[in-house]
Amino acid sequence: MTKLHFENVRRRFGRLSVLQGVSGTVLPGEALLVTGPNGSGKSTLLRCLAGILAPDGGRIDYQEDERALDLAERRLRIGYVAPDLAFYSELTVAENLRFFARLRRVGPERGFEVLDRLALPTDRMVGTLSSGMRQRLRWGWALLHRPRLLLLDEPFQNLDAPGEEGTRALLQEHLEQTPGGLAVIANPAALEIDRVTARIDLGR
Amino acid sequence: MFAKEWRCELRTKVALNTLGLFAVTTLVVASVSLGPLGVSKAQGSALLPVLLWLILLFSVAAGLPRAFVQEEESQTATALRLSATPSALFCGKLLYSLTLVVALEALITPIYVTIMNLEVKSPGLLVASLAAGGYGLAAGSTLVAAIIAQARSKGTLFSVLSFPILLPLLILVIELTRNAVVGDPAGMALAQLLLYDASVSIFGLMLFPVVWNP
Amino acid sequence: MKKNLPWLLWLWISAVIVGAFYYAPLAKGFIGKSSRILFFHVPMAWVSFTAFIAAAVWSVLYLTRGRQERHDRAAAVAIQLGLLFGVLATVTGALWARIMWGAYWNWDPRQTSLLISLLFYAAYLALRGAVDDPEKQGRLAASYALLGLVVTPFLFWIMPRLTYTLHPEPVVNAEGKVDMESRMVQVLIASTFAFTVLFFWMHNLQCRLQALVARREEGRE
Repeated sequence: MTKLHFENVRRRFGRLSVLQGVSGTVLPGEALLVTGPNGSGKSTLLRCLAGILAPDGGRIDYQEDERALDLAERRLRIGYVAPDLAFYSELTVAENLRFFARLRRVGPERGFEVLDRLALPTDRMVGTLSSGMRQRLRWGWALLHRPRLLLLDEPFQNLDAPGEEGTRALLQEHLEQTPGGLAVIANPAALEIDRVTARIDLGR
Repeated sequence: MFAKEWRCELRTKVALNTLGLFAVTTLVVASVSLGPLGVSKAQGSALLPVLLWLILLFSVAAGLPRAFVQEEESQTATALRLSATPSALFCGKLLYSLTLVVALEALITPIYVTIMNLEVKSPGLLVASLAAGGYGLAAGSTLVAAIIAQARSKGTLFSVLSFPILLPLLILVIELTRNAVVGDPAGMALAQLLLYDASVSIFGLMLFPVVWNP
Repeated sequence: MKKNLPWLLWLWISAVIVGAFYYAPLAKGFIGKSSRILFFHVPMAWVSFTAFIAAAVWSVLYLTRGRQERHDRAAAVAIQLGLLFGVLATVTGALWARIMWGAYWNWDPRQTSLLISLLFYAAYLALRGAVDDPEKQGRLAASYALLGLVVTPFLFWIMPRLTYTLHPEPVVNAEGKVDMESRMVQVLIASTFAFTVLFFWMHNLQCRLQALVARREEGRE
């Protein structure tokens, strides 16, 4: 069984204590929604969960199929969408996907499938993409290796209506159909998503 | 990884241009100052190897850190951190740095030897010293580049951090090059240089995950 | 015992100073009374190098024992003190060189290796200064320290090559072991011991001071 559990996660930047002991548990089929105003630590929490930022304290435990994954393994297993995620602007969308697929040692089919659903042409240079298209690419990249845990930071940012519809559907499918699929979503405002089983509000 | 690096690079040609331009400019400055003065044979064999390696060193410092700094600045580093195993990443970057250095040496050395009227008695040894020394430059620089990419004032910091590390390499390889010019045997220097290359590679590989990931 | 340590230390150092100037005889082959400087210069250089080893050990501890802040702090302070003692050793060495050979710098292997290590310490501290986040600072600095450790043995090997024609003999070592009278050896060892203890005492003080400052900063907000 897949499970994410974190306890008392703390993080400060200089004198500013951004996370002051946040805890939560997410089980398969569940989505944890993290809300709060700008600067309340949503992105920080997600980064800690993703393993790209080290918390100052607390613990983060993630297991798949009863096996606990260490930090390095967790980093490679999760799917991550965030506003500051960027890809290689001198390469095309397809080249980017193929590159990351080869790094992850998987085929790129899933990525292309997602981008096809989101109607993103794959032969354009990433540098020429609009912000909405970039967001779609992020989704394609995140789902490339069919992860179980999705960490989504403002997942519908910059998306137009069809884009948002498409990605919501992807999320829904992930939670319902992917075995052991779970998600943590961070957004400034509350989102209407089925299957949100818990909320953390980091507002002050 | 390596293929990606080169594809990106060939599309923008930034690193190649920087390295090449810097090296050629330095070379011209050096030769213009020294050439007309007519360096004697004896002085030449002492001085010219030093100058060659200084040119290579500073060119590398100018162009190589980009490998990692670019990833951080264009924010593609996060995607890499979440997709690649550190060892694969390090090897890819190292290979890329290595080919840059080899290209640089291939460009600069023939010009240098010609302009300075340098007579090399053991060309084989020269090639060996370029190879071993070039590798050491690439390996040491790659790890230091990874370190400074996450710090401020990256340009100057790279020079400050890398020179103490590369100093043994430089001393050894300059001696080797000097031997190649005058026709002396390689002696211990080559073995020590290869040992340096191996050590830096192994420890670079071991330390890289610490440097790269939180 | 801890409370008395400073007093004991000062007593010991005073004894060393007296011994250096009155008890130990002058070394042969030295100009005037310049050999006295030996008793201070050599231990300081020794401490400077020891500081590096200590910093490397603490760096390893930091990386392998759960990234504890105190290990990182210990490594940083060790390098700082290493720089301090190293600068002092270089200055005293240069003064001595001036008296002995008429020039402040001679490319003596010891002088050169001391200088290179100073460059390294300064680089380490520059790196620390360029990173704000403590977690990042800790692991980047520790990695750099260990990289330096890997490279150091090569410097030792290369040292013999660096003796240029002017002054071939590594003076410090040559006369140190063979010609010294027993009294000089006694004072030298006593002085080395004193400086080592001084180093660790200063290190301990500085670490505790920094820990207090850090705790106050944390408590403030």
